[in-house]
Amino acid sequence: MSFHVVKREACPLWKKACFYLLAVLAALTLGGLLLLAMGVNPLAYYSRMFTMGMVGNKIAYKAFENYLKVFVPLALTSVALSLAFKMRFWNIGGEGQFIMGAIAAATVALKLGSSLPNAVTLILMCLAAMLAAGLYGVFVAALKVKFGTNETLMTLMLNYVALYILAFLGDRKADWNFFLQAESVRPVFQSFADVAAFPKIMLGKFGLNLCVLLTFAVGAVIFVYLKYTKQGYEISVVGDSAGTAHYAGMKVNTIVLRTVFLSACLIGLAAAFKVGTAGVLSTAITDDVGWTGIIVAWLSQLNTAVIFVVSALISMLHYGSVAAAASFSRVDSSFANMLQGVILFLVLTADFFIRFRIVRTQKGGKDNGNG
Amino acid sequence: MPEQYAIEMRGITKTFGSVVANNNINLNLRQGEILALLGENGSGKTTLMNMLSGIYAPDAGQILVDGQPVTISSPEDSKRLGIGMVHQHFKLVDVFSAADNIWMGREKPGFALKRQRYDEIEQMSKKFGFDIDPKKKVRNMAVSEKQTLEIIKVLYYGAKVIILDEPTAVLTVQEIEKLFSVLRRMKEAGHSIIIITHKLNEVMDISDRVAILRKGEYITTVNTAETNEQELTEWMVGRKIDLNIDRPVVEKTRPLLEIRDLTIKNDEGATAIDKVSFYIRGGEILGVAGIAGCGQKELCEAIAGLRPVQSGLMIHKGDNIVGLPPKAILEKGISMSFIPEDRLGMGLAPSLSITDNMILKNYADARGLFVDRKSGRADALRVIEELEVVTPSTETPVRRLSGGNVQKVLLGREIKAGPNVIVTAYPVRGLDINSSYAIYDILNQQKKDGVGILFVGEDLDVMLALCDKIMVLCHGRVMGVVHAHKTSKEELGLMMTGALDLTDKHEDKPAGIARDTNITAEHLESAREEEN
Repeated sequence: MSFHVVKREACPLWKKACFYLLAVLAALTLGGLLLLAMGVNPLAYYSRMFTMGMVGNKIAYKAFENYLKVFVPLALTSVALSLAFKMRFWNIGGEGQFIMGAIAAATVALKLGSSLPNAVTLILMCLAAMLAAGLYGVFVAALKVKFGTNETLMTLMLNYVALYILAFLGDRKADWNFFLQAESVRPVFQSFADVAAFPKIMLGKFGLNLCVLLTFAVGAVIFVYLKYTKQGYEISVVGDSAGTAHYAGMKVNTIVLRTVFLSACLIGLAAAFKVGTAGVLSTAITDDVGWTGIIVAWLSQLNTAVIFVVSALISMLHYGSVAAAASFSRVDSSFANMLQGVILFLVLTADFFIRFRIVRTQKGGKDNGNG
Repeated sequence: MPEQYAIEMRGITKTFGSVVANNNINLNLRQGEILALLGENGSGKTTLMNMLSGIYAPDAGQILVDGQPVTISSPEDSKRLGIGMVHQHFKLVDVFSAADNIWMGREKPGFALKRQRYDEIEQMSKKFGFDIDPKKKVRNMAVSEKQTLEIIKVLYYGAKVIILDEPTAVLTVQEIEKLFSVLRRMKEAGHSIIIITHKLNEVMDISDRVAILRKGEYITTVNTAETNEQELTEWMVGRKIDLNIDRPVVEKTRPLLEIRDLTIKNDEGATAIDKVSFYIRGGEILGVAGIAGCGQKELCEAIAGLRPVQSGLMIHKGDNIVGLPPKAILEKGISMSFIPEDRLGMGLAPSLSITDNMILKNYADARGLFVDRKSGRADALRVIEELEVVTPSTETPVRRLSGGNVQKVLLGREIKAGPNVIVTAYPVRGLDINSSYAIYDILNQQKKDGVGILFVGEDLDVMLALCDKIMVLCHGRVMGVVHAHKTSKEELGLMMTGALDLTDKHEDKPAGIARDTNITAEHLESAREEEN
């Protein structure tokens, strides 16, 4: 008996959803086995993780506010990356662009925050972060357009350039270095939470950060932009076949530069949101959203609406594992990273089963008829 | 005792998703014969042969080699059984020499590459009467040389059964003759050969028997000597079909597009088109014949504004279009459609829907920020209806359509824009008889409407029947423009290889320059100035 792989014609939506759900369940089961091996009750752990420690917690609303702080940068970065990916521009530089945006936003907050009203500071922070990140991204696009360099390598390497600039700023005590606390002997980042913080809309005790609303608004705009506008159409054509785009009279280079700039700008905006809620820089400011965002964008198959759902789930994984670590000291928060990897792997496997099915090879056949 | 066949396929079935590519096919190949496998596109010829060469495994059925049942689950198995296939798209490493391309597939290539491999391969190709330089790099080879190399490779591995998938599609008439004499010699040496083709005259010329497939079904096998082209077509298509291509006579206008002393470079910077002059009138089809890669692509791209012109003039209705951006050339009513080998590379965005492909050239004309998909959908519906495109809906991605329908979508969009000059390269590339004739009808209709058509083609028989005049290119130079009803395939073949130059045939009229030209002294003056 032998088997072989056959292509599926079409897969109905409910079936697709089932496959993905199965993949996630399988990933959780694998994670559960690992937890058992460590002597932890998986059900207890998972229930702690997925409720993010909010059940039986007097300040559950605080937990949800903190969860949204994880969600906002990830969702916005993923949306931004999907713009570039749709054009088949492999922007692996989310981390670097995020850091550049964060440094620019912090500069505005530290230099101008005390002399300007909060709202003006925040707007300037967003604009500065978008510009800095946008330029950092479009630099690579310009090199690609002009010299045909490989954007994957360039954006990847520039991540480390940005990271070490940030590390340098956080380490170097000097008169010029306004990023650090002047009064402290050890190098500590200067907080600006009192002069630049995004306002909250109070719903009872729960404070809904303005960033959350803005993120959803940006998501909606990008959804429409990609789907219905001329520029969105151009992105799909260039992504599908640059030769065809050129043939249709599109200015391919302009489109590439414009789209990458926009993509990086939005990552800068995510950084401004992050900095404007954290109120201080740190060398771990990105929370790895530049990397995780790539996974989210692909898991969502570059669909803007799905990106929000997937970001919400992945954020739950990350934030929940931190919350669960409080009661299960044996399992640290890297468990979430492992689980995320297994989920990605199994969702890709599910993808295979959505596209193909496996059938048994039949033997037989009639006598030869020709000749 | 039943006859022992070299290959016997029994009840072979192969499905891809819900598409049945081969349904219960029975085929046999006698020892030492040439069997032609005939069928339209999508009839399952290549799929069937890929199961012999180990690329696909059958869902059901049995394969016998020399009377023994076998399982072929990889190309290695197939090689061991003495079956060799020369694919339509050559499987060669461009940067390797001829000898190394053969050497690398050996079971035991040895740790070090030895010089003697050149001698060994040279001797072996001499034995079969091939003329090939074993040290020559594949990337420097002409198409026919590459094909020869593929055949030598197959023979080197000791194949007794040789399968050739549309070997003549890329060759000139003279090269086809040469190939056929090689095949006959191989047959005499005891090899059994299967040749896939859909050119009937070749089937009649070379084969002993013909097996016919239609839409994945096995139809019949006949002795070539006992049949004729008309009968074969009916089996292949399933109904009577008129094999004549119309050439309506239409009153011609003054030249619409005039090309004068045009020189273009290719991507590598070598001269692709060398001082070429010709003109197209409204109401005529000018064919462009030439061996693949003789500057056809560069010429098309230059006319569409996609490739810079080194020197020369392109005058459209009296205006020079050299240096204009693609958009401006489109707006003048010059349409270019080029069907590359992969059939999707230029002109269409394969992952996008038919609607989205319809609006490709005019999406920017919609007012405001948004794309106008409503009129795009209406256009898509019209093209689907008028050209009988088979598709589930207007929102189906173009790459899901079959080849013929893809090409109809492309041509449909071009015609919808109401061009006055159509440049079309290989519009029937890889299409079956029905779809090809549909495309010829579309072009003839355009011609009757007074459109000037430049038809870059491959099949000389078709060009002789369809075109009014034929221009022959050889290495980027014009070898002459001939009237299609006054020339022959042999003459064209000689011109394509550069053996015959008819540019100076008419002493009173310089080649490629119309008597009633729109090109003025002013144009020529400005062109000269630009060069200096």
